[in-house]
Amino acid sequence: MDDETPSTTIDRRHFLTVLGTTAGGALALSGCSTDNVQKLVPYLVQSEDQVPGLATWYASTCTECPSGCGVHARTREGRAVKLEGNPEHPINQGKLCSRGQAALQGLYNPGRIKAPMARSADGTFQEIGWDDAIARLAAGLGKAGGRVAAISGAGRGTFSDLLADWTSALGGRLVRYETFDDEPQRAANREVFGTDQLATYDFGRARYIVSFGADFLDTGGASIENSRGFARSHGFEDKDVAKLVFAAPRMNLTGLNADQWLPTRPGSETALALAMANVLLAERGGEPAGLAGALASYTPAMAERETGVPAGTIERIAREFAAARPSLAVAGGVAGQHSGAVELCAAVNVLNFAAGNLGETVRFGADLPAAGGLAPLAELTRAMGAGEIAVALVHEANPAYTLPNASGFAAAFGKVGLKVSTSLHLDETAALCDLLLPEHHALERWDDLRPRAGVYSLMQPVMEPVFNTLPAGDVLLRTARAAGGALARFDAPTYEAHLRSRWQALATELGAGDFDTFWHEALRLGGAFRDPPASPAIALSVSGGQEARYTPPAFEGEGDFVFIAYPHSMLYDGRGANKPWLLENADPVTKITWHSWVEVGPGAARALDVRNGEILELTSPHGTVEAPVYVYPGLRDDVVAMPLGLGHTQYGEFARGRGVNPLDLLAAPTGEFVHYLSTRVRVRKTGGYRKLASVEGVPRQLGRGIAEAIPLAAAQQGLTVEQAYMEAGRGKHEVNTERELEAVHGWAEEQREATEYGDYRGEDPQWGMAIDLAKCTGCNACVTACYAENNIPTVGEAEVLRGREMTWLRIERYWEGGEEPGDPVSARFVPMLCQHCGNAPCEPVCPVYAAYHTADGLNGQVYNRCVGTRYCANNCPYKVRYFNWYKYNEKAWPEPLHLQLNPDVTVRARGVMEKCTFCVQRIRGAQNHARLEDRPIRDGEFTTACAQACPSDCIVFGNVRDPGSRVAGLQQNPRGYRILEDLNVRPAIAYLAKVLHPVEA
Amino acid sequence: MAVAAPSHPVGHEGLVMNQTHAEVTRDVVATLGKPSRGYVLLLLGAATVFLIGLLSFLILVKDGLGHAGYQPPIFWSVYITTFVFWVGIGHAGTLISAILFLFRSPWRTAVYRSTEVMTVFAVMTAALFPIIHIGRQWIFYWLLPYPNQRFLWPNFKSPLIWDVFAISTYFTVSATFLVFGLIPDVAAVRDKVSGWRKTAYGLASVGWRGTDNQWRHYSRAYLYLAALATPLVLSVHSVVSWDFAVSIVPGWHGTIFAPYFVAGAIYSGIGMVLTLIIPLRRALGVEHMITPEYHFDNLAKLTLLTGSILFYAYGMEYFVAWYSGNIFEQTTFYRRAFGPYWWAGWTMIICNAFVSQLLWFRKIRTNLTSLFIISIFINIGMWFERFVIIVSSLSNDYIPWAWDQLNPTWADWAILAGSFGWFAMWFLLFAKTFPIVAIQEIKEMIPMPRKRGGHH
Repeated sequence: MDDETPSTTIDRRHFLTVLGTTAGGALALSGCSTDNVQKLVPYLVQSEDQVPGLATWYASTCTECPSGCGVHARTREGRAVKLEGNPEHPINQGKLCSRGQAALQGLYNPGRIKAPMARSADGTFQEIGWDDAIARLAAGLGKAGGRVAAISGAGRGTFSDLLADWTSALGGRLVRYETFDDEPQRAANREVFGTDQLATYDFGRARYIVSFGADFLDTGGASIENSRGFARSHGFEDKDVAKLVFAAPRMNLTGLNADQWLPTRPGSETALALAMANVLLAERGGEPAGLAGALASYTPAMAERETGVPAGTIERIAREFAAARPSLAVAGGVAGQHSGAVELCAAVNVLNFAAGNLGETVRFGADLPAAGGLAPLAELTRAMGAGEIAVALVHEANPAYTLPNASGFAAAFGKVGLKVSTSLHLDETAALCDLLLPEHHALERWDDLRPRAGVYSLMQPVMEPVFNTLPAGDVLLRTARAAGGALARFDAPTYEAHLRSRWQALATELGAGDFDTFWHEALRLGGAFRDPPASPAIALSVSGGQEARYTPPAFEGEGDFVFIAYPHSMLYDGRGANKPWLLENADPVTKITWHSWVEVGPGAARALDVRNGEILELTSPHGTVEAPVYVYPGLRDDVVAMPLGLGHTQYGEFARGRGVNPLDLLAAPTGEFVHYLSTRVRVRKTGGYRKLASVEGVPRQLGRGIAEAIPLAAAQQGLTVEQAYMEAGRGKHEVNTERELEAVHGWAEEQREATEYGDYRGEDPQWGMAIDLAKCTGCNACVTACYAENNIPTVGEAEVLRGREMTWLRIERYWEGGEEPGDPVSARFVPMLCQHCGNAPCEPVCPVYAAYHTADGLNGQVYNRCVGTRYCANNCPYKVRYFNWYKYNEKAWPEPLHLQLNPDVTVRARGVMEKCTFCVQRIRGAQNHARLEDRPIRDGEFTTACAQACPSDCIVFGNVRDPGSRVAGLQQNPRGYRILEDLNVRPAIAYLAKVLHPVEA
Repeated sequence: MAVAAPSHPVGHEGLVMNQTHAEVTRDVVATLGKPSRGYVLLLLGAATVFLIGLLSFLILVKDGLGHAGYQPPIFWSVYITTFVFWVGIGHAGTLISAILFLFRSPWRTAVYRSTEVMTVFAVMTAALFPIIHIGRQWIFYWLLPYPNQRFLWPNFKSPLIWDVFAISTYFTVSATFLVFGLIPDVAAVRDKVSGWRKTAYGLASVGWRGTDNQWRHYSRAYLYLAALATPLVLSVHSVVSWDFAVSIVPGWHGTIFAPYFVAGAIYSGIGMVLTLIIPLRRALGVEHMITPEYHFDNLAKLTLLTGSILFYAYGMEYFVAWYSGNIFEQTTFYRRAFGPYWWAGWTMIICNAFVSQLLWFRKIRTNLTSLFIISIFINIGMWFERFVIIVSSLSNDYIPWAWDQLNPTWADWAILAGSFGWFAMWFLLFAKTFPIVAIQEIKEMIPMPRKRGGHH
């Protein structure tokens, strides 16, 4: 046929167009709707924001904890597939923690309530329509006559304001309840500084940080913001490294990142803080005399008696703290909430004040005061128990689970006439309710949050709702329409309209001019961000140093051990317990997955004669729990500790009946907060055993140089790790002999020449990575990001027990020291992933070329070609290859969790090997993009999922052949080393050694 | 006609053959008679065990390898252990039938057929395991270099591909050698049976009539086949050893591996020969053809030799680990003796290195009971040798964080047992179908008939 003849048949381009739009349309329609559309319906007019194969990003706000981080939701063909931090957002600046990323598994959670339900006569829930549901709530309110209460965990924002107005219009009350709400700190700030606000801490500027139990890198406060700051001050970027001292009976993740751990007696840290302030004032002089006088009795000797920390150490730390400017002391944390918690926070406030840190590293003005504490909830509990409440509405809160049984909440709540929940899940509180009005997930609805002054963070729907749910704001407005009366003034047609009207007012308030421009800019940015107001001048509100008090802690009950309950790193207060990612992603400290455990110190374990996995029974005056032992070197021998967050009786198939709830051991909250550190427990061996579902192997490096460190002085001189070892007189740090090295290096040289003459010489990029161990805090955010990006299946507890977790990227945590009693223990974290070796041992042994080397330096893995001999995994010295022993892909994503899958990445079948690909889909995507624009890839234009997520930015990815790239520069850093370098596998990842402060007593 | 072909050994001072040619034929053909009750029960037992293994394998195919006790980093375990075990077993057969043939060791005559049969079936058993062990068993043929429209070839750098060639070559050559050696015997059986069996054996004897010309060609061809099979004794297990030695796993990566594996293979093979022949000679009533003083003594001496080589190799592995100063090697070997797999490590050393030293004593060498017990020790010890090399090395390589231990399950044990059932089933079927003692070679041992003459 002549080329010029016009073809009457369909040509390739036309065919692809039709195919693309048809398939895209079908996916867009079927991917996110409950209607189960079966027809292929082509777009008549292509949607502007839906290009098949291209991702659309929406800015929104994370609601997984009170921090209020900004997120970017990546959507493909109409459904959200990944959450990343919003780089424009002032709080998290582009980073997101594991819990935030796992919000995606909340969106698609199989445990979500799929439609409104009402309790029927036989006690079960029956699905009803929304009109019916609203009518029932309106009728209940009509009869209640003001005896209405709402319990809400929603953050500050338009919804909370609406709910407050709505309840007060009804004559009812609104009780705000957030499980971990820094109440002791708030109370101490009131007492010492006369402000209701919480401070924001500038870890980035602090030269010396003392944490009195505060877990600021993980579960305490805005951990992403804190990690970013901590990486700046504690990483080795310039010529100095801030020092972190951690004082608490148990090392949490922050403790594991400390340069020194002071294992204080539980509840005694106040004495330490006051003694430090005392020494500091004596050192500096010229500070308020009244304060010095009040502190005079808190000598280091007195503190030694109370805390068990040697007076000399206290004195030295106090002097170092005084000498470093600015410094920073942080207190509190859930695990330290004992009867003297307010005193501790007050003492630390005094210490910061004395050190001159106010306005420097401790700033006020940004926090928005919240309604305080548990007292209103306690009062409400009493009122409910007395039958004074007719209608109770529970929103974003699960007090029936998160309060100790002893609080009596569940029993009192049961006496309310009409109990209504807007929970997404059938949690413990919702299960007690009569009417379930499931709310849209945060990614499905319009809303906003004001986590702090100047931050107006927007939420917008990123996709159609997965289930037949309704935003709680619309529930309030529709109920108002149905009930009329006092509620008649809530006349916005929808919550979205209400929100927009509020933002119109905000635009005026901020002087933004044209609303449409402001609104679209806010949607694009994820909100409206203004500089926080200047820190007001803060002074001690009480003179004479009355705030400097220390009451030795008293613990109820008897037994040899004080009991610590602390927030679970992944599950937080238990809200993550139905998300497989968070259950399988190991706790960063203990590396245990899927179940509860009880931590016992090494000395106590010897005394009790228990080993890992033996089941202990803990008995307090309030209850008994049983859990397997984990012997934890970062724990004093007179305490035992357990994570909160498990032991659900409801909440979904993954959470229900899993683990135990340590709240069962705790007393009812008294005053403003739950005392998580308040009781002694008796410990008894039950004789039972269960193997810990742990991902920990042998936690010692055995001299293999995996997680290297270098003394600060050596790093400052620009020495390499090897030079630093030689300097320290420890001989050449290597495993091979001279002769062997000669042979190996000679051979390596030959290999290098051989490959350069081969196909891989030329203009191709060589992808590589640099990981700075001085910055890595071991937080696991990268691991969750990797699960999300690469469709990594969770394998479940039984398979983790058989060591078959599929973590392409894992954080290895090695102990240093601590082998003899009294020898201080510390931890080193190493993110371990495929090293993409230039001379990879996995490649030649594959009989079918499933493992092969790409021209741009990746170790490719062709799943389709893999027959599963597993030789590659045997021959991988880093053990970063993972095998599909079963059909994990069929079990890991029960409907509708499968909607989270990233369409750019193959879901692997059973019987094939898989591993880190350096996010090859992102590399190819960026290459395609650059090619369309006819330009080379720019450094930093894209990065891997792990590097994108890392809160401390310790992972840098890029083209090492580009001399101007960040990664090429970092790989030349003198601290750089390659793990198992002597094997001559030539890994593409350079690790930068951790920088250590000199060890002092 | 010349009874003894020039290449065949004639007579031996240690061996006295008091039988006539006719008696030999009669005795051997008698073993092919109606099966006894015991035989049938044994065969049914073997078939049942095999079926259990087969069922387990089908479950693996259905659900995935997860049922077996793999615990990363132990990506190879019981199946590869058993694979190497069975490949090793085969070697003694070839050694006895081919190498000893070339070296003119007359004592091989009475036992070589059974060892050759053992070789073929052991290789057949071994060949199952690479297929059982891979993740996607249904595409095992991707390891073969066959022409395909994707223009994909296997990776000839991978020792697993060498394995494919080694095993398939070994099976082809040893099966050919066995079948070829059978021809005159099958013809002898043909001449003694009637009915359909005569037709069947007639077909199987491919027109053998025992003419001078046929004998001349036969003995030449047999010699060449023996010469062809001989290097395989050394090469096959060397190649199998490279599955390990070519990798960089501490405990695998050793230059000693090829000779070490070959010695181990022969050692394990003779162990299995002893285990099989001691009961077999009684069951078949051929005690007078295979005697403790001559045959077993010689087999035991070979066991002692190879066992001592193993002893040396074990010692040398430890020496090299220490002498190299390589901490990875040192840790692996320290843990082999004192780590979580100490029991397997010591089982291997006791059963192989120590027990074989008992054979310095002639009394033990010629006592069938002690030999049988020792042979069982050898079988167990050699299975554990491969288990130790594979599992204990993998359990503690470079990254301590990844270390873990194996937890074998029913799927491991059922398929291991099934392989014994499969092997025994074939062996038993063969023993009732073909002469398990080589008729014509036994006859060559008998001095030329003088009085009764006639029969060739």
